[in-house]
Amino acid sequence: MDFNKESQVSCSWYAQIENCLLQLLWHLIHVTIDLWYFPLGIADVLESYLISWGLLGRYKSFNVTKLRYLAIVVDSEEVFQTSKIIKLLQWLEAVGIKHVCLYDNEGVLKKSKNFILEKLDGTILFWDAHENDVLSDRQHMTLEFVSFSDGKEAVVKAANVLFMKYSKSGATDQNQKDEIFTESQMSNTLKTVGSGGPKPDLLLVYGPARCHLGFPAWRIPYTEIVHMGPLKSMNYGSLVKAIYKFTMVQPNYGK
Amino acid sequence: MEHFTLNHHGKGEEGEEEEEVDETLPLGLRREAIPRHVAVIMDGNRRWARSRDLHVRSGYEAGARSLRTIVELCCKWGIKVLSVFAFSSDNWFRPKVEVELLMSLFERGMQEDTGIFLRENIRISVIGDLAKLPEALQELILNLEETTKNNTHFQLIVAVSYSGQYDVVQACQRLALKAKHGLVEPGDIDTSLIEQELETNCSEFPHPDLLIRTSGEFRISNFMLWQLAYTELFFAQSLWPDFGEAEFLKALLAFQQRQRRYGG
Repeated sequence: MDFNKESQVSCSWYAQIENCLLQLLWHLIHVTIDLWYFPLGIADVLESYLISWGLLGRYKSFNVTKLRYLAIVVDSEEVFQTSKIIKLLQWLEAVGIKHVCLYDNEGVLKKSKNFILEKLDGTILFWDAHENDVLSDRQHMTLEFVSFSDGKEAVVKAANVLFMKYSKSGATDQNQKDEIFTESQMSNTLKTVGSGGPKPDLLLVYGPARCHLGFPAWRIPYTEIVHMGPLKSMNYGSLVKAIYKFTMVQPNYGK
Repeated sequence: MEHFTLNHHGKGEEGEEEEEVDETLPLGLRREAIPRHVAVIMDGNRRWARSRDLHVRSGYEAGARSLRTIVELCCKWGIKVLSVFAFSSDNWFRPKVEVELLMSLFERGMQEDTGIFLRENIRISVIGDLAKLPEALQELILNLEETTKNNTHFQLIVAVSYSGQYDVVQACQRLALKAKHGLVEPGDIDTSLIEQELETNCSEFPHPDLLIRTSGEFRISNFMLWQLAYTELFFAQSLWPDFGEAEFLKALLAFQQRQRRYGG
């Protein structure tokens, strides 16, 4: 019996030593990986600062006409940093971006739109410019404000409009072909319910989570999505770099 | 073609499921933070072949091997659902010869791996506008789905002839027909009812926790548009045939470190 007890104690000791060694190995692996990525991270930060100081030639002036429509998604926890958002928009205007869509899940930015517009000289709402046919006016940046209600809820509204049309059409199951609704019908109906804005070419996400936080999905099937990190850490260099990289992309859209 | 082997998670002698759970997770992965549903846009097969001066067929075959590896890892690490974007609605515009090649590869892959799916207790679901597929392939898919529908260890959802916009529209169509037959009141239609009609409703976990897209592209390319609102996005640089265990682990580790959002 004593021998068995001693044996169990030995096994327990060995198991504990094995666990310690495994944990040590785990930490060593993580330190190694961190040491590998540390210089890469430093280089990235340095490049952002060099861009901000205008010391990297290729970022100083490049053609942004390919970026026709830019979307900015702001996490709910950071959306009240209005001064940061205004600064971001000023940077975008300086780079030459003409049309920006601002999104946050709860519509806080929508509620602040008048305040934001006041702070940006000459900036007007996208839909006002659209109605007055001044979208091509290169002097002004336009802003669009969207929220969750313009996403899934808008699809529900559009679906209900389509349902009403379908039920009134008198179409029966016998004379139904393949489709009752089409994707283009959905796109057109989303416009009629007020949620049919342009499809952004690029979507920048500011916040801790790397997801688009419910941005109207119908509008981003082929949109480039870049996570920029927290809004509080935003910097001009990273913004310019993200836009520059987009202008160099040559997508094939699956064809 | 290589076939994968898994730890046996199949059924016992009396038809009851025996769980031989492999407890060995790679260092750093926490069991409680493993995503339940991972989605993958398997991009880069053709580029992989071109970079090696190989026929595009070689790229797709290499991609199939990568898929088998990832399925095996999902089963081993406790991921319950893997959705893969195998063929999008846009891919129909590719050269006819290439499309036919892909259809034949799908058919062959399903036929050859049926035994493995059954043995490893894997459920297969195929989503997309299947009416556009060759009839033989449609029949094969129906049979495979039926044969594996009661399998519970792991689910592989293959999106073929699929787009996120198609999924939303077909969900609305289904609801319109239900409303016409009095099964649903038009005024009751909301986001929840639309979600129930999406094709991903074939799964217990219809919303991916993590989306991985390979080949360095930063788009979701019309994949599961509705379902990806709060999905963590991981864009990998490697081409799909080169995406293996190390890269998958990197994606899962990155997922574990992130703050999730589950908005309303």
